Amino acid sequence: MPFPLGRPLGVADNPDFQRDVLRSALELLESATEPTIVDYPHEAPEGEGVWACAIELPTPEVSELEASLRREIDLLMPRYEEARRRRGRTTLGMSGAKPEEIDAVVSFAIAVAEGSGFEEIPKSASGPEWIHPMPMLVRFVVEDLRAFYQESVASDNGAAPPSQHDMHAWIFEQTALGRLIKQIAQLISDDHDPRLLFVRGLLIPEGFWEGGPTFGGPPPGEDPREFLIRSRRYLRGQEA
Amino acid sequence: MVRLSDLHPEEAEHMLQRAEGLRRREFDFDATSWITPAPLAESTIALITTAALHRRDDIPFRFADTGFRQIPDDIDRNDLVQSHISVNFDRTHYQRDLNVVLPLDRMHELADAGEIDGVSPMHFSILGATDAFMLEPSAAEMAERMHNLGVNTALLVPV
Repeated sequence: MPFPLGRPLGVADNPDFQRDVLRSALELLESATEPTIVDYPHEAPEGEGVWACAIELPTPEVSELEASLRREIDLLMPRYEEARRRRGRTTLGMSGAKPEEIDAVVSFAIAVAEGSGFEEIPKSASGPEWIHPMPMLVRFVVEDLRAFYQESVASDNGAAPPSQHDMHAWIFEQTALGRLIKQIAQLISDDHDPRLLFVRGLLIPEGFWEGGPTFGGPPPGEDPREFLIRSRRYLRGQEA
Repeated sequence: MVRLSDLHPEEAEHMLQRAEGLRRREFDFDATSWITPAPLAESTIALITTAALHRRDDIPFRFADTGFRQIPDDIDRNDLVQSHISVNFDRTHYQRDLNVVLPLDRMHELADAGEIDGVSPMHFSILGATDAFMLEPSAAEMAERMHNLGVNTALLVPV
């Protein structure tokens, strides 16, 4: 299937196309007589035109990250709530915070961006039952904010549906959220713990980090496999 | 699967390294006998998504998690969240329509039309970013659970 990663059925809200993808896969069960790879012959249909965010957010002020972020969320909230009502679902909640607890999600992200560190949950972010250990929780808190933004603007009536690249470009070039994510990524870069660079690679997609590849690697002289094993323990909260 | 040419070069290189890692493991397809599937009209199908979807009160997938989570067929769609770790894949369509990664509605339409026999009362979710070989114990346990549910066909839906 020649679709972007993350879209195995091709396209949202297009039952006919999704059914055709499914039928093509299932029909292999009746035609194949050995392990078989067949290319799906159709591209996923794309919307007309170029996506553009239908709501204009104020230019984020460098010195007022929290105020800028909260202002954006206030502006987006009616669209988020409408999209959530229409779809009957939201994907926000990956960190463990309930959708109604987005204030605590913001407080968490701001505290980390302002230097609370990557070991302890910020005291200002009490309330939600966070379900990931630090530092991976930072990644899921950011992902909750990204989901909030994307769900708010991804189905503006009359607009072509955005690609993930559209969303990343919008977030990183035009929003306070993008600036917040980069600020956290810079703190990770300055921390000099190579294990933390995994988190940077899970926060910022390739192509949106000015410093080059988003993931790091083992320090000089360390066996890559050993580095991966100790990084895995660290990221699973099994090792400080 | 996305074309390598549609990926950022760093991500494409990562994919090639993963593929090379799998090739080095030399999985022997010939060691496993070919199973002739049931005709589609007699197939009861369970979905396996690699999107790391889980219920809100499930234990989330951890980094390199090798386990699986169960998703009831009649789940409240708002009860599903995702703890896949990659930031490099498209979530915009999944956020609009769950069927893009877990086609529950489409499967029931095929069942209602008689194209398949039925849909499993339970589906399964794994973290696709995990080393595939490390998932083998989970695969065996999922297969046993499917068998006990009367499922005779599994459809892997890789994100």
